[in-house]
Amino acid sequence: MEAKHDVLVVGAGCAGMRAAIAAHDIGADVALISKIHPVRSHSGAAEGGINAALGNASEDDPEKHAFDTVKGSDFLGDQDAIEILCEAAPEDVYELERWGAIFSRTEDGRIAQRPFGAAGEPRTAYAADITGHVLVHVLYEQVMKREIPAYEEFFAWQLVIDDGRCQGVIAWDLLNGGLKSLGAKTVILATGGAGRLYSGTTNAYACTGDGMAMALRVGVPLKDMEMMQFHPTTLAPTGVLITEGCRGEGAYLLNSEGKRFLERYAPNAMELASRDVISRAEQTEIDEGRGVDGNVLLDLRHLGADRIHERLHGTRELSMVFAGVDPINEPIPVRPGAHYHMGGVDTDVWGKTSLEGLYAAGECACVSVHGANRLGGNALMETITFGRRAGAHAAEWALANTTVEVPPSVEADAERELRHLLDRADGERPWAIRDELARTMHENFGVFRREQLMRGQGDIVAGLRERYQRVVVDDKGNVFNNDLTQALELGFLLELADCMIVSGLARKESRGAHARPYDFPERDDENYMRHTLVAWADDRPRVDWTPVTVTKWQPQERTY
Amino acid sequence: MSIGTEITGGSAPEPTMEVAIKIWRYDSQTGERALKLYEVEAPEWACLLDVLDIIKDRVDGTLAYRKSCRMMICGSCGMRMDGGAVLACKERMKPIVDRGHVPVISAMGNMPIVKDLVVDMDPFWSKIRAMKPWLQPGYQEPPEREYLASQEQMNPIHKEALCIMCGCCVSECNSMESDPDFLGPAALAKGFRFVGDPRDGADIERLNEYNSEHGIWDCTRCYFCNERCPKGVDPRDAIAKLGAESVRQGIDHDLGAKHAKWFVTSTKTTGWLRETELVPKTQGIVSAIKQTKFALGLARRGKVPLPFPPHVAEEVREARALHDLLKEQNRRGAAGIVQGERGLARIERTDEGGAKRDIAEITPGEEPAAAGS
Ligand SMILES: Cc1cc2nc3c(=O)[nH]c(=O)nc-3n(C[C@H](O)[C@H](O)[C@H](O)COP(=O)(O)OP(=O)(O)OC[C@H]3O[C@@H](n4cnc5c(N)ncnc54)[C@H](O)[C@@H]3O)c2cc1C
Ligand code: SF4
Ligand code: SF4
Ligand code: FES
Repeated sequence: MEAKHDVLVVGAGCAGMRAAIAAHDIGADVALISKIHPVRSHSGAAEGGINAALGNASEDDPEKHAFDTVKGSDFLGDQDAIEILCEAAPEDVYELERWGAIFSRTEDGRIAQRPFGAAGEPRTAYAADITGHVLVHVLYEQVMKREIPAYEEFFAWQLVIDDGRCQGVIAWDLLNGGLKSLGAKTVILATGGAGRLYSGTTNAYACTGDGMAMALRVGVPLKDMEMMQFHPTTLAPTGVLITEGCRGEGAYLLNSEGKRFLERYAPNAMELASRDVISRAEQTEIDEGRGVDGNVLLDLRHLGADRIHERLHGTRELSMVFAGVDPINEPIPVRPGAHYHMGGVDTDVWGKTSLEGLYAAGECACVSVHGANRLGGNALMETITFGRRAGAHAAEWALANTTVEVPPSVEADAERELRHLLDRADGERPWAIRDELARTMHENFGVFRREQLMRGQGDIVAGLRERYQRVVVDDKGNVFNNDLTQALELGFLLELADCMIVSGLARKESRGAHARPYDFPERDDENYMRHTLVAWADDRPRVDWTPVTVTKWQPQERTY
Repeated sequence: MSIGTEITGGSAPEPTMEVAIKIWRYDSQTGERALKLYEVEAPEWACLLDVLDIIKDRVDGTLAYRKSCRMMICGSCGMRMDGGAVLACKERMKPIVDRGHVPVISAMGNMPIVKDLVVDMDPFWSKIRAMKPWLQPGYQEPPEREYLASQEQMNPIHKEALCIMCGCCVSECNSMESDPDFLGPAALAKGFRFVGDPRDGADIERLNEYNSEHGIWDCTRCYFCNERCPKGVDPRDAIAKLGAESVRQGIDHDLGAKHAKWFVTSTKTTGWLRETELVPKTQGIVSAIKQTKFALGLARRGKVPLPFPPHVAEEVREARALHDLLKEQNRRGAAGIVQGERGLARIERTDEGGAKRDIAEITPGEEPAAAGS
C-alpha cells in the first residue's frame, strides 16, 4: 500500500474539492486524487451560473426553487433531496463568496442573479460567463490553504473491496508510471460526467464516467442512466457549449425562415423553456428541414455590443475561435449536444452508496435532484451542497471506524490485469472503437429515441465490446502514459453505454430527456414514475426499479 | 452503415486538409531529443490539439501532451508553436496550412520537460502557493451573508480572475530565464487578484512580500507574458499595478520602487529620463560608480545623453501633464493604472526598428516579418 488516509476523494472538480474541504474541516485526514490537476477539472467550463434562492434580484425562496426543480425533473427527482438542496443552497453560495469567489454584483453590491431556463425567478448567481472557472479556483485556493494533499495526475482504475466494504483505490501514476494502491476508510467518487459517450458533447476529454463504471464493477447500482441531457446550444462541429446565459440575457433562437420557432413549442417561456423542450424543438426543426446546415441560429445581435462584451465575453471568444462567427454581427449556429448525465451512482441524501465506505457526489452521482431533466445552474449547486454533505458524512464515519486493509492479492490481481493489456502486441488501437461508439450513440440514443434504434445500438455496443477485448496500447512506457489510461477509459465508456441502452429500453414512456415520440409519446406516471436501477451481473447489465420520493408535489402536466 | 440516418439526416463528408507539423519529441528516460515530421489528414476546422490527437491515434500512440476541456478554459494544453507558447486548443490550423507553413511544436519553456510536450508544472505551482493565494479578510468580521462590494470595486481584478494557470506566460518570461526563483507573471497576477480585492485585508503583508527579492521589481518588462497570455490576463499589467500599489502604500524599500519614483521625478523636471542620474538616485553613489563603466559604454554608443547641462525636452509642459496624470494614478494606486502598457510596448518595439507589428498580432506559425520590412 502506497499510503493510507481516512478519506480519499476521487476527483477534484467542484464536488470533489468541496467534499475534501468538508472532511478536512471535521478533522479527518483527507486526500484528493485526480487524473488531471484539480483546476483543470471540467467544472471550470461551467459558464452560466449556480442556483440559490438568495432573493437578490427578486422575491425568492427555497420552496419556489424546489418546485421549479421538481417540475423541471419531470417529477422523477427525489423531492427530499431537492428540498435539502434548495434549503442549503443560499448558505452554501454565501460561503463560496466569503471564501473569495468573484461573483458579478447587483447595484447594491450583492451577488447578482440572472434568469435561467424553467426557473420562476432570476435565481442563477453568476460570475460573468466564467462561473465554473471562478468556483474551481476558489475551491482550489481553499484546498491550498488547508494543505490538503492531492495525488495529481493519478488515474483511479479500481476500487478496493475487502471485508464487504470499500477500503481504497488502485490508481495508475501518470507521471511516474506504475499502479499505486491507496488505502482509505471511506472513498468518495466525484469523477464527473460521461459526455464522451457522444460525438457532439460539451464535455471535456476527461469526462469518461470513470467513477460510475468503477462503482458498477464492484456491484453498486447506477440510477436513471438513460437520462442524458442534450443542451440546446452547442457549436458545430465539436459541441463546445454556448451558455444558457445568452438566452437569460435575451437571445433569440431562429430557424432558417428567421422565425422564433419556440412559439410553436413553448409559447410562454419561449427561449427560457426547459432544456429538453428546446432541444426537441430544435431537433424537430432540423429534421423537418428548417435548419441551417443541421443547426438553428442563436441570435444575440439585438443585445448590443456593450452587453455582449460585458456579460458574454467568453461566449463571444468561443464563438469566434470555434465557429468563426462574431455574435455582435452574426447569429451563432447551434444544435443540441450531449451535456449532462442526470443518471449516476445511486446514493442516499448523504451521498452514501449501497456499499459500506463508498460515497458519490456531483455529476457522477444520482441523488437524485435532477430526475429526468436538470435545470441550468442546478448542477454546480448540487456539486457544492452534496459534495459538502458527502465529505462530512464520510469523514464522520471514517473517524469512528479505524482499520484499513488493501490485501496484497487485490494489488496482484490488478497488476496482472493491467500487464495483460500492456503486453498485448497486436490488435486494434482504441480510437476507431471510441469514435464509432460516440457517433452511433449520438445517432441512435440521442434527443429522440426509437425502440428499433436502441436495440440496434445494443448490438453495436456488444460488437464494440468484443473488439475492445483485443485492443492494443502503443505506449509501453512508464512516463506520462496516457495512451494506457485512454484505453482504460474506453473500457469504462463501453459498459456505461450498455447500461444506458437497457435502461432506455425499459422506460416505455417519454419523460424529460428520454423522448420516445414514435411509440410512447406520453409520460406514464402510473407505471414509470420510478427510477431505473441497473446493476452488472454475468457480464451484462440488469435493470431494476426503485421508487421516487414524493414529499409535497404531486405530478402535474409540464408545460412552459 | 449507420442505422440512425433516417432521423438525424446524413451529413455530407466534411472537407479536410493535409497538415504537416514537426514535433520535438523528448524521452526523459533516455534523455533523447528528436525533431520529427508528421503529415496527417485533418478536418478543416481542426485546431492544433485535434491534429495532435490524430497523430496520437493513428500514427504514434506514445506521443505525450496534456488536454482536457478543448475550449480554452482548463489550461492543460500549453505548448510552444514556432518558439512561442500557445494553447493547442486555441490555434486553428487552416491558415497555417494555407500558407504552406510547417510549424514546429515543442514543450513550454522555463519548466523541466517530462516527456514530449508535457512539462513538470511543480515549480509553477509552488510559486502560486508562495503567494498565499486565498482570501484573508484580516480583522474584518465576516458578514452573515455575502460581502458587500460594488461591481466597480471588483472590476480592477477582473482580468486577473481570467487566469487559467496554463503557464504560457511563464514559459516565455524573460526574467525567469535568468532567475528561476523570480515569482513570475502568473503568480504575481494571482497576487494582484488578492491585493486588488476589496474583501482582502492582507494587502500590506502581500505587497511587502511581493516587493522582496525575486519579486515585482525583478520583472524586466519584456512584455512577453502579455503577448503570450491566451486569456488576456496581461500579467505584466498586474505587476505594474502591484508596483503602483506598493508606491502608494509607501512600500519602496526595493530598488525597483526607488527607480520608478526617480523616473517620475526626472521626467517631471526635465521632460526626459535623466538616465545618468537614475542609477545614483536609486542605488546610491557607491554602486553607481561600479556601474560607470557600463554607463560610459552606453554613452559611447549614443544611448545616454551627457549629464550636463540637463537637457530639457521641448515639450516639457506635455511631460509635466503626463506626470500629473501619473501622480493622479499613483494616488489611486492600481485603480489608476491605464491598461495601456501593451500599447506602449508596441510603440517601443517599432521605435527600436524591430518588428513593425506587435509580436502578439503575428499568428504563431507565421514566418516572422523581416525587421524594417
Ligand atoms: C460546458 C459546460 C457548462 C456547464 N455550465 C453549467 C452551469 O452554468 N451551471 C451549472 O450548474 N452546471 C453547469 N454544467 C454542469 C456542471 O458544470 C457539472 O455537472 C459539474 O461541474 C460537475 O462537477 P463534478 O465535480 O461532479 O465533476 P468534474 O468537475 O468533471 O470533475 C471530475 C473530476 O474527477 C476526476 N476524475 C475523473 N475520472 C478520474 C479517474 N479515473 N481517476 C482520478 N480522477 C478522475 C477529474 O480529474 C476531475 O478532477 C456545465 C457543464 C458543462 C460541460
Ligand atoms: S514582462 Fe516581466 S513578468 Fe512578463 S515575461 Fe517579461 S520579465 Fe516576465
Ligand atoms: S496569466 Fe495568462 S498565460 Fe499566464 S498562466 Fe494565466 S492564463 Fe496562462
Ligand atoms: S484543452 Fe483545456 S485549455 Fe486547451
